[in-house]
Amino acid sequence: MKAHTKGNFHQTAAPLLFLLPNILIFATFIIIPAIQGLRMSFTEWGVFTEPRFIGLANFSELLGDEVFWKTFSNTLVYSLFTVSLIMVYALMLAMLLHKNSLKGEKLFRSLFYIPSLLSMITVGIAWRFILGDEMGIINYLLRTMGGDGVRWLTDSKLAMVSIITVSIWAQAGYYMVILIAGLQAIPTELYEAATIDGSSAPRTFVSITLPLLRSTLLVVLVLATIASFKAYELIAVMTKGGPGYATKFIVQQVYQVAFLEDRLGYASAMSIVLMIIISLFTVVQFKVSGKEKSYE
Amino acid sequence: MKKAIVTLMILLVAASMVFAAGTKEEGTKKEVTLSVLWFNDANESDVFLKTIDDYLKSNPHVKLDLQIVAYSEYDQKLKLMISGGNPPDIARITTNTLSVVVDSLEPIENHVQDVEAVKKEYLPSMVAFATNKDGKFIAYPTEATANGMLVNKTAFDKAGINVDEVSKTWTWAEWETIIAKVLAANPSMKYGLAVDFTPHRFSTLMYQWNGRFLKEDQSNIGFNNSGTVATLKWFKSLHDKNLLPKSVWLGSENPAELFQAGLVAGHIGGSWNINTYNKNVKDFEWKAVRMPKGEINSSVPGGKFVASFKESKNKNEAFRLMAAFADKQHNELYSRDTFNIPSRNDAKVSYPSNSADFEVFLEELKVTPAYTANEWKNTNLSKVTTYIREQIVEVLLGNITAEQAVANVDSRGATYFK
Repeated sequence: MKAHTKGNFHQTAAPLLFLLPNILIFATFIIIPAIQGLRMSFTEWGVFTEPRFIGLANFSELLGDEVFWKTFSNTLVYSLFTVSLIMVYALMLAMLLHKNSLKGEKLFRSLFYIPSLLSMITVGIAWRFILGDEMGIINYLLRTMGGDGVRWLTDSKLAMVSIITVSIWAQAGYYMVILIAGLQAIPTELYEAATIDGSSAPRTFVSITLPLLRSTLLVVLVLATIASFKAYELIAVMTKGGPGYATKFIVQQVYQVAFLEDRLGYASAMSIVLMIIISLFTVVQFKVSGKEKSYE
Repeated sequence: MKKAIVTLMILLVAASMVFAAGTKEEGTKKEVTLSVLWFNDANESDVFLKTIDDYLKSNPHVKLDLQIVAYSEYDQKLKLMISGGNPPDIARITTNTLSVVVDSLEPIENHVQDVEAVKKEYLPSMVAFATNKDGKFIAYPTEATANGMLVNKTAFDKAGINVDEVSKTWTWAEWETIIAKVLAANPSMKYGLAVDFTPHRFSTLMYQWNGRFLKEDQSNIGFNNSGTVATLKWFKSLHDKNLLPKSVWLGSENPAELFQAGLVAGHIGGSWNINTYNKNVKDFEWKAVRMPKGEINSSVPGGKFVASFKESKNKNEAFRLMAAFADKQHNELYSRDTFNIPSRNDAKVSYPSNSADFEVFLEELKVTPAYTANEWKNTNLSKVTTYIREQIVEVLLGNITAEQAVANVDSRGATYFK
């Protein structure tokens, strides 16, 4: 029998012990609830009733649930536009503000970052005051100037545009900071060499910046996608998912079914589907973007 | 002898200590902190504390841990507390919430000698709401509420219309004609009426047009009926004619704010708005008037209650406090200071103002059919009301017809009546 040496302990058990607190927290608040959620998804269960095992009935009901699929397609549309536009906008901001050479750069970084420090509820309330049909500031100004008000939050299409725009405004600063860190990690010698070689700015961006920023962009892509699928507070405050189902996403529907319609089992089935979708997206994103190349 | 004296002294000291301890036990009751979950329509938590102050002074061992939660979060918070086995000792509850948590409430008869005598003290409609399916009285009614119409009297005056007079017998068709004149005379006023974005307020109109949520025997959902379909079509037509602002039902703007800003001529809301407008409206004169008639006149009765739970930790003290809070003297004080309709038969409230407005709401209650209360008492209905609201909005948007909406609601609602 092989005796444990001091070196073995440091190499095997010690790192695990350091990780233990994090593992415990992760297991308690993520893994166990997820397993419990999976178990609940096979039951019929109200807040005040005992769970009853019903097999895959919740999942088969989901297939024919029009409202669920409507909220699913809304979530996809919101996610697609929000994530892609956030990436473009945050990258633009990062490109402008990463050099530490312009006057007022730090001030602008702070200004763009501040919205991401606010709670989404605060952001939603503020923007509802700005975009409200009758009591909103923009419509008030438009009417004062003789125009008609715009139905920012009560027109089905415009409401989605408003939600996406505010989401980008609120979150872009956070991703800008991540991208600035990524940009500042790119060796300046590469840019100097490109300049000596007479490379144009677009060519430098495509050939140096983008490839070397790939891993940072992947992080932003994954984080922004997960955040977009979990969007709740902003929508709940700004439109309550309306008008009708126009801005209602899966998370709102899960909340409604669980706590207002008292169907915890069915809501769990929805959550499991949402978890699978997010996992699939994440895996695909890693597969597509994760092929790291060496530029040394 | 000396030994006997010492023994006697020891016995005397021991006896005096025992009696002294007994006196202390009787004089200072065990300190209890009652957890109270509350929500506010206006200033109810402040008035509750003020009203019950004398009780707390005469019972210094009772302390309150008052937790105030926004109404939009209230039901979920309470349900999670109950399901987690940690309900509050006392909770403020609406008729809507009552239907959801009814099975978790501790019956009053477990804590009073003559529950029938207690029941007789309250309005029959409130007793009906607070009685569970086993006939047990499970909550102390604190205030009665009703839905009604509040109008901008100044705007009607400006149009030369005596709203007191016309509202005595007006129909919804007559209201449309009158409101067109009011809007014409008040260019800054944009809409005739705002109706709260809730199925409860929509049901006020639905009942007026002979609509129903449920089958008559309440065995199943019964939204698909001619009265409800007619109400939905008419409600949409009012929006299409711009008599009702789209921003309330399509954009969840607050109708009370629109009314206070002078943008709408009237507001159909709960009686608690009297309190709100009394405090906030300074720019124009407002008053409560009878709602126009559809097929019939109707409001929707409701109310607020205080109740304790089967799993509450301090039920006995909670029931003592609730009984005191719900007695005649305290109920009158609370009703007066919160501008609410008292829940007791024997309460005589002299409001500092707005007495006539309360009379109007009471008149509405008197003509309201009993089935309205019975429908809103139904636990299963409360599970489908959010879906009903969504389907109403789909009709207003023109995405589906009224007939499709009622069919959808019946299909979804039937799953809760299995």
